[in-house]
Amino acid sequence: MSNKSCFQLSAINLLMRGVAIVMLLGIGFVATAAENEKPQWVPGQPYPPELLDQYPCHSYELECGQLPPPPIEKVEFNEELNGDPDRGEKIAINLRWGNCIACHKLPGHETGSGTVGPSLVDYAERSLPYSYTFQRIWDPRVVNPDAHMPVFGPNRILTKNDIVDVMTFLYATK
Amino acid sequence: MRSYRILVCLLVCSLVQVTSSMAAEMTTKHEYMPGREKAIPHVSGDKEFSNTYQYWKDPESLKKAVDDGLMSHEMNFKDFRWMEKSMEGDMVLEEGLAYFNQENESGKSCASCHGEDGAELKGVYATFPKYNKRVNRVLTGPSQIEVCAKERLQRDDWGPDTRPNSLIAFYVASLADGATINVDTSSEPMAAAYERGRDLYFKRVGQFHYACSSCHTPPTAGNYLRGQRPTTFFGDAAQYPIYHFPYQLAGDDYSYVFTMQHQIRSCQQLSRMYQGKEGSASMTDIEVFIRASSNGYPMSIPVAEYNMNTDYLERNIDQ
Repeated sequence: MSNKSCFQLSAINLLMRGVAIVMLLGIGFVATAAENEKPQWVPGQPYPPELLDQYPCHSYELECGQLPPPPIEKVEFNEELNGDPDRGEKIAINLRWGNCIACHKLPGHETGSGTVGPSLVDYAERSLPYSYTFQRIWDPRVVNPDAHMPVFGPNRILTKNDIVDVMTFLYATK
Repeated sequence: MRSYRILVCLLVCSLVQVTSSMAAEMTTKHEYMPGREKAIPHVSGDKEFSNTYQYWKDPESLKKAVDDGLMSHEMNFKDFRWMEKSMEGDMVLEEGLAYFNQENESGKSCASCHGEDGAELKGVYATFPKYNKRVNRVLTGPSQIEVCAKERLQRDDWGPDTRPNSLIAFYVASLADGATINVDTSSEPMAAAYERGRDLYFKRVGQFHYACSSCHTPPTAGNYLRGQRPTTFFGDAAQYPIYHFPYQLAGDDYSYVFTMQHQIRSCQQLSRMYQGKEGSASMTDIEVFIRASSNGYPMSIPVAEYNMNTDYLERNIDQ
């Protein structure tokens, strides 16, 4: 008797699950359609405000208020630097892209830059290993947990290629 | 018997669900920029952060610092903020007064309760945000205006992010010009609001994973951020609402008066954080923290952001 009732229960359970899966698939389909209509951030353009709730936020009511911080990403870089220095320079000085210049003096941009971080004008001469620089830009928390610098890698502000281009620009000897 | 088993099944299932979701909530650990424990609800708390308070604690000190040839960034950029009143804001104050006196269909206006030209509101803005017992929540100036307008004037469209609200806030704040900021942080629930606001101010959020304090504590504060001049969170609230802030929010038609709530949103947008809703609990807590960090400082309204006579910056400092 009890076995039978259990079986009946699980049969109903299975049926319900089936219905739920079909419904979820439907929702998934709608969500994908909506996803396509969502604006995309184009580097160099203003960041669409409606995309920002995918990151932790200040709200008590919205889900983003409870999102955990992006996990710290320790990365390796053992390659040659063969990026595009001109593109790297564009990324570094663009307000809505890398915007390194907001805080750092850059080679060829000694005036009009910020003074928050150290000057990078002579970065090439400092002989810092590529792996250190790549890590410093990708996720500065590995080097200094309280760095006043964005987490470019984990939150997809810059791609690996972007960072390699910026590094190629910084390491280029004049 | 069978229904009893089903009931137990359901109970166990829901219990498992509840405990697992509770666990998820409890394990969410936010990251904070350092320095929270040093913040105190008084303008002199700046000593623990930028160590420039002595240069701008009152008009005389500021004048002396400028005369001594101190550069703007050496004063934490506070010289830019309130050295001179901006009379450009005067016309906008008149617009605010017009809204203040604007009668609804039954002939009532803000002035019906608060006296002609707000005679009863002198100095009041210096104590906001404030706990309102009747509505049982902490209200910023604009939120208080919203509540009044809705309840007393049946105006449902004077919310904190509307033009009449911002301009009335600007006008009422001007009635507290010179009054010392005195936001209560000792009695509940204001003390709790201050602490929550402080935590939010140091909480890392958004795409850059910045906190408000990433820009508003050294080494960023007191240094040039490209063309911007970030300063510490002490003292500046005394000039809000502020005239003509240069960073407008998309779609604003009131961009020339920035309340503290607009300012927080504008900062959030600039630093790629999700913008809060003006007057919401979290945004109110942040304002409690910022305004209380100006406790002991005199209000100065109207002031224009980057108001200014910058002549002295051009001077030859060797002279």
